[in-house]
Amino acid sequence: MTVQMDMVVADRLVKVFPTPDGRGKRAVNGLSFRVREGQIYGLLGPNGAGKTTTLRMLSGLMAPTSGTARIGGYDVTTHVGDVKRVIGFLTANTGLYQRLTARELLVYFGQLHRMSADQAAARADHLIEWLGIGDFVNLRCGALSTGQKQRVNIARALVADPPILIMDEPTLGLDVLSNRIILEYIKRERDQGKTIILCTHYLDEAEDMCDQIGLLHDGKLIAEGDLESLRSLSGEERLSSIFLKLIHAEETVGAIVP
Amino acid sequence: MSFHRRIRTIYGKELVDILRDRRTLIAMIVVPIVLYPLLMLGSIQAVSYQAESMEKERLVIGVLGQSQAEMLQRLIADDATAIKREAGQVDPSSEAAQDLPAPLDHFRLRAFITQERLEEAVRSRVIQLGVVFETEVWTGKIDWTSAIRLLPDYEDMRSAFAASQLNEMFERIGTRINADRKEGLGLPEAFDKPFEITITDLSTSSSILGQILPLILILMTITGAIYPAIDLTAGERERGTLESLMVSPVPVIDLIVGKFLVVTTVAIMGAALNLASVTATVYFGGFDKIIASTGGGIPIVTMIFILLCLIPFAVLMSAIMIAVCSFARTFKEAQNYVTPVILAVLIPGGIAALPATRLEGIMLVMPVGNMVLLARDFLLGATIPAVHIVMVLLSTTLYAGAAVALAANIFGKESVVFADAGSLRSSFSRKLVRPSDKPTVSMGLLVVAILFPVWFFVQSAFSPGLYEDVSGLLHATGWLMPVLFVIVPVFVLGYWKVDIRNTLSIRMPAARHLISAVLIGLSAWIPAHELNVLQQSVLGIPQAVIESAERLAETLRALPVGSVFVLIALIPAVCEELLFRGFLLSGLSSSARKWTAIVVSAAVFGVFHFFLFKFAVTAALGVLLGYVCWQSRSIVPAIIAHFLHNAIGAYSAVNPAWFQRIGIAAEAEWSHLPVHVLVIGGVVFLAGLLIFARESSGTEHSRGLESGVHLAGKRGVS
Repeated sequence: MTVQMDMVVADRLVKVFPTPDGRGKRAVNGLSFRVREGQIYGLLGPNGAGKTTTLRMLSGLMAPTSGTARIGGYDVTTHVGDVKRVIGFLTANTGLYQRLTARELLVYFGQLHRMSADQAAARADHLIEWLGIGDFVNLRCGALSTGQKQRVNIARALVADPPILIMDEPTLGLDVLSNRIILEYIKRERDQGKTIILCTHYLDEAEDMCDQIGLLHDGKLIAEGDLESLRSLSGEERLSSIFLKLIHAEETVGAIVP
Repeated sequence: MSFHRRIRTIYGKELVDILRDRRTLIAMIVVPIVLYPLLMLGSIQAVSYQAESMEKERLVIGVLGQSQAEMLQRLIADDATAIKREAGQVDPSSEAAQDLPAPLDHFRLRAFITQERLEEAVRSRVIQLGVVFETEVWTGKIDWTSAIRLLPDYEDMRSAFAASQLNEMFERIGTRINADRKEGLGLPEAFDKPFEITITDLSTSSSILGQILPLILILMTITGAIYPAIDLTAGERERGTLESLMVSPVPVIDLIVGKFLVVTTVAIMGAALNLASVTATVYFGGFDKIIASTGGGIPIVTMIFILLCLIPFAVLMSAIMIAVCSFARTFKEAQNYVTPVILAVLIPGGIAALPATRLEGIMLVMPVGNMVLLARDFLLGATIPAVHIVMVLLSTTLYAGAAVALAANIFGKESVVFADAGSLRSSFSRKLVRPSDKPTVSMGLLVVAILFPVWFFVQSAFSPGLYEDVSGLLHATGWLMPVLFVIVPVFVLGYWKVDIRNTLSIRMPAARHLISAVLIGLSAWIPAHELNVLQQSVLGIPQAVIESAERLAETLRALPVGSVFVLIALIPAVCEELLFRGFLLSGLSSSARKWTAIVVSAAVFGVFHFFLFKFAVTAALGVLLGYVCWQSRSIVPAIIAHFLHNAIGAYSAVNPAWFQRIGIAAEAEWSHLPVHVLVIGGVVFLAGLLIFARESSGTEHSRGLESGVHLAGKRGVS
């Protein structure tokens, strides 16, 4: 039996944004969690809970005000370059270079990830086939529909075949078909041993996808565990009911996390 | 993947991206090809139309009373008759026929009762000119001068034109009367003409071009650079591509360098098209005869020269534009930032375009201005000393480098990428600055780029007159150096909460490093001297260099020995080391590799000495001292070595006799050293270097500094 290591370790992450009054806004407030290799970790929470800020700190885009995190063994505060090499990051509402074709875009990002032009092209072809984007891969990105754009975007995040994927709302605004293709692909990546952090507002989706779930509220984790343990903790069956109950409880009595 | 390959990848992508943009193509191709010819044709036609209409317009001239009106009428009629008569006497096809004046026709006289009313009519522009005869007009009387007053309003172009026409007419009449008077008295023609003055304008076609073109070129390169600079920086943010770009494992400096090169390329391409379009318009529109009065047209060589001048321009402009636009989150914001920058750039450009401004003194290092002057002098065919060209190019490179470094520091900064991370101002406020152990490359280069023209100004402001000694300059630089080279960087470091002691490498070095610093300090003059001799055998020594060396030596002999050592050795050793080996080298080392950092800091050190002739030796010395500082991890050995080196140099000037005793004759200053000195000195020098070379190299150094990060962090927390 192989020992599963923690691919993502967040350790008391804090992010304070400056505000005009000088007091600052705590978007993330002492957040700690771990994600084991080969798991999908769902980071769920209402709007403004600090999900996106957390993902940005994990990917090295933002420096934590205090605390730290290790991604694939690399510290996000001191080894930003290495962190960026081991992650694929899909952001919510990312734009694409409108004047490049989808294929050019994929090859470009492959090269930015230190692949040769040939390697990048081969990898792009593979992703084009798997994500079913062959029909529009030679169109300029500006001409693509929302679903097509999002599929190209996911291909972009995967182009370097990184061991860790961080995905912020991957199915936002997609039709059922595109939605299905993308979720299937994410599961397949997990089955091949990738570690995935998933943020989503679609709780059915999270129920279906995630091995572990962390509930984020006001920048803090208020509950964590697999679906079963969350059910027993809250006494509710559906994730959406669990979600509402736990957040309500947090607002009235405080943290439930032991 | 190597730095060059990453840059090439980024460059290729950005260039394709920007060239596929319709707006780039419009700005780059349609505007120059359609707009410039139209503008040029339009403005020239408007000017010539105005001139024509002014000539055709009927003049209204005011006079005092009916009798003066009749008098003026008669004078004008007489003049017209005389001109007709003179025209009949010359051959109509000869050159003289073309020089004949035109008689005053198309005019109307209007009589006024008082001079006040007349003046009022001129001011209110009812009439163009007032003419008042202040005395009787006796043209036949030999001892009579008739006083005539012209009353124009020079603010009115037509009034000025009328005045000049009337003035010319009265002069013509006066000349004729003079001729009659001389004839009547039997005086020779030359009687009242002791001089005949002819002014021949020697300016060539390119003079006019030389005055205007540099400014046009600035405008062209700016217009070419603005759009791509905004699109590649603020545009990334606005379209939402910045986040995925920043999460790629590519250093920001690579991204910025790639983008900067694309902007430069587009700016040069745009400016070249502009230039081609203007040239074509001038040729095919027949304007070359207007611009090139000598008829030679614009030589193609001139156009190539202009294109060459364009390149450093485009480099500087693109760097500035990229830096400015990196601050912006949106297109609109970027456009707001760009406007004042364009104005700021046009001011030195405008000063430089004034005919009286010359490429010397502070103008040599004035950003943009020096390039305008260099381009102008090239076009005018003036002789430009090589030193000046090098100075302009080096300072421009320094400014461009600082701007690119600034852009790399700003681009992709949290507060620019994410709107919720606070305003840009908050990222500059001291309260939110995280303490750091080293300055960034951009902080290092920016401070140095600002100090550079200031230091140059100090040097030229205190440079001695022809017969003065250089003690004034020595004292001024000696006292200002600590302020500029130490206090300014220390203030900047303190404000940004950068660890000052770590940055300036203020640490006690190992004893062996002190010993080797002394060895190197005592012997470095030997390789420096040999390098000088080598350079002299290749380039020769300008007379000015020998003279200034002699003048310095004379000054030093006149000063007390203590002052000499303080001014020449102690102050420069401490201040220059703290700035170049402390501040700048630390800043560079935060991103660049060991030898890149050492060589760049040494090159800047060389540039700060301003004289091309000194550049090679000072830069080599800079490499040596940078190496000493890097290996010993302390500024102290570098200061010691620098002090000893300068002290020996000063002492050789003060007391040449001592050097003669060990076999170095003063008059042989520019020849090779004797063999025994070379051998002994060489051994000492190499021994010093070997001690440093035995130290572990760069990687361990940076690891040592990383532990410094943790220490600084902990200090910050506690």
